[in-house]
Amino acid sequence: MWAAAALGVAAAPALSAPYVPASDDVVLERLPWRAGDATATALAGLRAAARSDPDSAQAAADLAERYFDLALAQGDPRYVGYADAALARFKGEPGAEWLTMRGVVRQYRHDFPGALQDFERALQKDPSHAPAHAWRGAVRLVQAEPTLAMQDCEALRRLDRAALAGACAGLAFAYAGRLEDAARTLEQALASAGADEQRVWLLTRLAEVAAWQDRPQVAEQRYRQALALGVESVYLRTAWADFLLDESRPAEVLQTLDGRESVDSLLLRLTEAATTLKRPQAQGWQRTLQDRYAAARARGDTTHLGEEARFELQVRGDPVTALRLAQENYTTQREPRDARILLLSAAATGNLAAARAAIDWLQRTGFEDRRMRALAGLSSAPPRPDPPAR
Amino acid sequence: MTHAITPVRAACRHRLRRAIAWWAAFATALLVTGSALAHKASDSYLDLRITGSEVSGQWDIALRDIEVAIGLDADGNGEIRWGEVRRRHDALAAWALSSLTVAREGPCALQVTGHAVDTHTDGAYAVLTLAGQCQGSGGPVSLDYRLLGDIDTLHRGLLKLSLDGVAQAAVLVPGQAATVFGSTSPGPLASMATFLVQGVWHIWIGLDHILFLLALLLPAVLVRRHGRWIGVPNFGAAVRDVVAVVTAFTAAHSITLSLAALGWVSLPSRWVESVIAASVVLAAANNLRPVIGGRRWVVAFGFGLIHGFGFASVLADLGLPAATLAWSLAGFNIGVELGQLAIVAAFLPLAYMLRHTGLYRQVIFTGGSWAAMVLAALWFVQRAFDLSWPI
Repeated sequence: MWAAAALGVAAAPALSAPYVPASDDVVLERLPWRAGDATATALAGLRAAARSDPDSAQAAADLAERYFDLALAQGDPRYVGYADAALARFKGEPGAEWLTMRGVVRQYRHDFPGALQDFERALQKDPSHAPAHAWRGAVRLVQAEPTLAMQDCEALRRLDRAALAGACAGLAFAYAGRLEDAARTLEQALASAGADEQRVWLLTRLAEVAAWQDRPQVAEQRYRQALALGVESVYLRTAWADFLLDESRPAEVLQTLDGRESVDSLLLRLTEAATTLKRPQAQGWQRTLQDRYAAARARGDTTHLGEEARFELQVRGDPVTALRLAQENYTTQREPRDARILLLSAAATGNLAAARAAIDWLQRTGFEDRRMRALAGLSSAPPRPDPPAR
Repeated sequence: MTHAITPVRAACRHRLRRAIAWWAAFATALLVTGSALAHKASDSYLDLRITGSEVSGQWDIALRDIEVAIGLDADGNGEIRWGEVRRRHDALAAWALSSLTVAREGPCALQVTGHAVDTHTDGAYAVLTLAGQCQGSGGPVSLDYRLLGDIDTLHRGLLKLSLDGVAQAAVLVPGQAATVFGSTSPGPLASMATFLVQGVWHIWIGLDHILFLLALLLPAVLVRRHGRWIGVPNFGAAVRDVVAVVTAFTAAHSITLSLAALGWVSLPSRWVESVIAASVVLAAANNLRPVIGGRRWVVAFGFGLIHGFGFASVLADLGLPAATLAWSLAGFNIGVELGQLAIVAAFLPLAYMLRHTGLYRQVIFTGGSWAAMVLAALWFVQRAFDLSWPI
């Protein structure tokens, strides 16, 4: 107690300690919902339905789906846990919807084999269940299996989901290294897209493809079109910030992400930019990120690994730690950005062989990104790979 | 649902929401999923200390989670006030205790003995103080953690456990089998080593102990001639002085540390803390206007007795294992001495080298004594009058 008192004296303001509020009226917490608002009412209805009919897989799946939407809308993983618990309360023989929802929750935790199994079973029960195809395609893309993903894109097209099928196929082409085909397919999907959310997403992907094709003006134009739609999208902001960092325009990153420090991925881009520019905020942001990664590690969460590798390499300048994290990340996450951080870390440690898996992928697909091919020591005119099955 | 929406419109809405959700498959699965979400998942922080059959601890649970589990927002305005939490204290305690089973040769009887709040990075938490008694005082401890298991499967309990003085940590997953923590009770030597490290660490972070020691050591490389300080003629003179001071301080605080740790003597901690601050003030003041002359070892002994009580309360916080009490106590004592010796070893050669310089006499000796005196005086006021300000 005594040494703690002395320590407290030396470092007091940073330490928080339990306290008893001075009055009953002190507001301790503001809830993201309020009894009686539309969301709370809808949830209460779905909860009541699930409770009154515990044998209904449909009721459990509906409640879980609403929770999962809330997780995405509010950026709050608690709702993913609620969704999973709602699913777990149903004990009978599940239908396609229930199985798909559980797969969705599993992929969120990066349990990709478990998720794929669930989507598989859902499609056995109902081969025309579009969400199971969409999610399975997405997971296969994350795992660098564009040929398999293309089967799901094709199924979506047959099910008359034109925009979704186009988005799926566009990405499958891109991850297979066929950037011209990717751009053309995404353009077509854009023409048939119905909602601004879809346009933002397609424009973001088109911008990424253009950047990989080494056409920064086209990429920037796409990003600006997407931003002009005014739909808040973490993915768009993240990709736009990465583009600006690649183009050595860190000052604009600070501008475009101003006030968005609460999202870890955006805070990482802010910190990279502030570190490059030697801004005073860099130190505090760096500590915040370290705390958040440590908190994730403490609870056994490994979904941050790729981002943490980038933090170690670009911000803290520790390529050895970065390489270890990037390698672990690449065992489950194999998108181009995962390959890129693996290559960067390996190159920084002078041990390019450690990025064998990413180099193999570049060679196999002929993925055209100039930066990555240069890192991997590959020629930038790749041989045309076999087209994925259509 | 009994809303004024026609079934057709409701169905349309549902379909639209579905379409957006499918879309989300691509928008979310294809970015680093976890880090796209702004918040962290639900955690509770459980700190438990089990020494023999005694259990004490603290459990921080997010107000948001308590709201979902047992309801706090009585007026439904979306804000949780302290009054709303206070009125649910009994229900909260019952719910929390029903979600945790601690056992040592049979279940331990746990109680919530206090309620407070705290803020973590993701919002406000209720802080429950735990106390209890186990049936056995040795052997393994098992922990069955079930908090929120039926509500949020991503919830985790972050456990820090001090079992018979040995720290352990674990992530508790609700719904999994009870976690067993080995009857760690380490051998006497391992226990001694653990407490030795703690002893070194606690003298190093105990700024006031260090300041007291340094205030007494600063004049060791100087002698007073005709009302002025000059450097000692040789290293031996300085060493003799340092040995006298350090030996006296060590002997004194070893005596009271042992007496207090064994529970034979106890003093009110506020009084002890205040006197320790005062001891730094007096030791520093004596450098600026000497009254004790060459008998500083007497001061070191007298106040050393009080500093020993200060170390004892640290030791009490760590929890002395009953089985290896004597070894742990000895280890902690030796650790404190080694930590002290390290400080002396760093200080003395440097001070001896600089003793003839103005830098040492004006800046380090006079300036340092003033600084120590002012800082300790602030501590004294803070502790004696129970004030708090951030210094």
